[in-house]
Amino acid sequence: MNYRITTGEKIFKICNAVILTFIGLMAILPFIHVFAKALSDNSAVISGKVTFLPVGLQLGNYEFILTKSMFLTCFRNSLFITIIGTLLSLFCTVTTAYPLSKVWLKGRKFFVLLYIFAMLFYGGIIPGYMLMKSLNLLDTLWSVIFPFMVVPFNMLVVKTFMEGLPESVEESAKIDGAGDIRILVSIILPMSMPVIATIGLFYAVTYWNGFFHATMYISKPDLKPLQQYIYEMINSANNINNNMSVEEMLKISPGGVQAAAIIATTLPIIIVYPFLQKYFVQGMTLGSVKG
Amino acid sequence: MKSETALSDVISYDSVSKKFIKYLKNHYQMYLLLVPGLIFLVIFKFLPLIGLTMAFKDFQILLGNNILDSIFKSPWVGLDIFRRIFSSQDFISVLGNTLIISVLKIVFLFPLPIILAILLNEVKNRAFKKTVQTVVYLPYFLSWVVVFGLFFTLMGNEGVLNNLLSQFGFEKVNFFTDKELFRPLLIISAGWKDTGWDSIIYMAAITAINTELYEAAVVDGANKFKQIWHITIPGILPVIILMLILRVGYILNAGFEQIFAMYNPAVYDVADIIDTYIYRKGLGQMDFSLGTALGLFNSVIAFVLITSCNFISRKSTGKGIW
Repeated sequence: MNYRITTGEKIFKICNAVILTFIGLMAILPFIHVFAKALSDNSAVISGKVTFLPVGLQLGNYEFILTKSMFLTCFRNSLFITIIGTLLSLFCTVTTAYPLSKVWLKGRKFFVLLYIFAMLFYGGIIPGYMLMKSLNLLDTLWSVIFPFMVVPFNMLVVKTFMEGLPESVEESAKIDGAGDIRILVSIILPMSMPVIATIGLFYAVTYWNGFFHATMYISKPDLKPLQQYIYEMINSANNINNNMSVEEMLKISPGGVQAAAIIATTLPIIIVYPFLQKYFVQGMTLGSVKG
Repeated sequence: MKSETALSDVISYDSVSKKFIKYLKNHYQMYLLLVPGLIFLVIFKFLPLIGLTMAFKDFQILLGNNILDSIFKSPWVGLDIFRRIFSSQDFISVLGNTLIISVLKIVFLFPLPIILAILLNEVKNRAFKKTVQTVVYLPYFLSWVVVFGLFFTLMGNEGVLNNLLSQFGFEKVNFFTDKELFRPLLIISAGWKDTGWDSIIYMAAITAINTELYEAAVVDGANKFKQIWHITIPGILPVIILMLILRVGYILNAGFEQIFAMYNPAVYDVADIIDTYIYRKGLGQMDFSLGTALGLFNSVIAFVLITSCNFISRKSTGKGIW
């Protein structure tokens, strides 16, 4: 009896490990392929010889996107959007979440309701566009930052976290006569660092990955963020070879350049992700469902 | 008696207003803190609602000195635009596509993270478990443009898959322009991106199950499958029901960013959803009133669906998204 169970368990364990390894490979192999392609020789890319290892190792594709294309300009735009956007968003989110985490705050329900309504009811693509147009924000980087200033979901996550902080920590500061802002800055903020890190990452990913707003609001080539640049590059494979020598054109291929651009766009996320995974997961379990 | 009550009312009223002044004095900073967020909320979330009046007007952008003026000056047309939408063939087609893609995604993708979480939970080797988790969460953090790029490199006309097919003498399959294959492509890429991440919530639910139940089951001689079937699944059933109800609430959300990034004119028939249609008609062809009206229709239905599903979920499981 006992023996039978252990055999069964062994088989289950092995099957499970095989299935999970397969799933893990499925998640990662597309990257490895694109990574290999980006480093491969033009002729190998065109003839489809590249699978998971670079064929005819060379850096021409990267050289091209870094020197001969708008990649760096767009990269800078994305960096600006992500850094400035995340900082501003964090500021607004924390300053909103703290007052709303206080049960005794008069008007709390009303304000919370405003944010929940904003989360559930979308004004629509056209009114959003008209707004940007009337505010003269079209063709500015602000047009893709402002709509995400306070993501209600993120604000509610921070609020829930702050509600869990013990009221007693504020008592001594209150006796000293500290105002609410000073309590927030000197006591609540340091204690909320885990949730701020999590939400900061969510904002950063949202800003870095966003492309639909840019498609609607930004048409100047030198203001486009990276995602839009890549999107256009994939959809019009032929527009890469302006002002290049024949020699250079032999070295690179549309497929290889696309691959290099995809990798370069994803690299910032792939680099920081393993270190910050903890915070991401924390945020998911913290905020997804309210009891 | 009567006058006494009145007197105490006056006193209490007076003390209430005094209390309120004291409250404001102590906590005006709280309201100050709310200001930056509210400014953005009002400008970027509530101001566009004025624009919704375009749905009931024949909006002409050049009528006034600025957009707002044009909105005011444009003539009211009542429900004409809605009538035009509801009687058009396009509307039926895009509504159908939205629902079909959404339902396909629920049917094929909803069970996957549950299965993944159960399998991951059975792994005892911590390093292996952690590695698999790290790897499967990763795609969630990629933009749809990058996912499009990855899948295009894999399954596009010159992609690795087609190279293999032609090497073995088969005909090339173009997933991105084939009407039969584009929806499966949407489902597969959405599953690739989100399955790992979505499993987190079920992992958390499994962790909450009392381990004594498993110990008792082992004593009773239950094998792994029986344990999963009789303990794990019933244990996370409330969370499964909750997630399913909420997912159904978002049924009009067929994956706008994904489709917007991946589709092309060859597959409009099967992939054009309400949002992409609004974008092309409303902004591309500048039929602003139509875009606004269809958007309003979409938003109102979505709002009703989500709030009712949240209500149902609160009633049945005690949990909701707010």
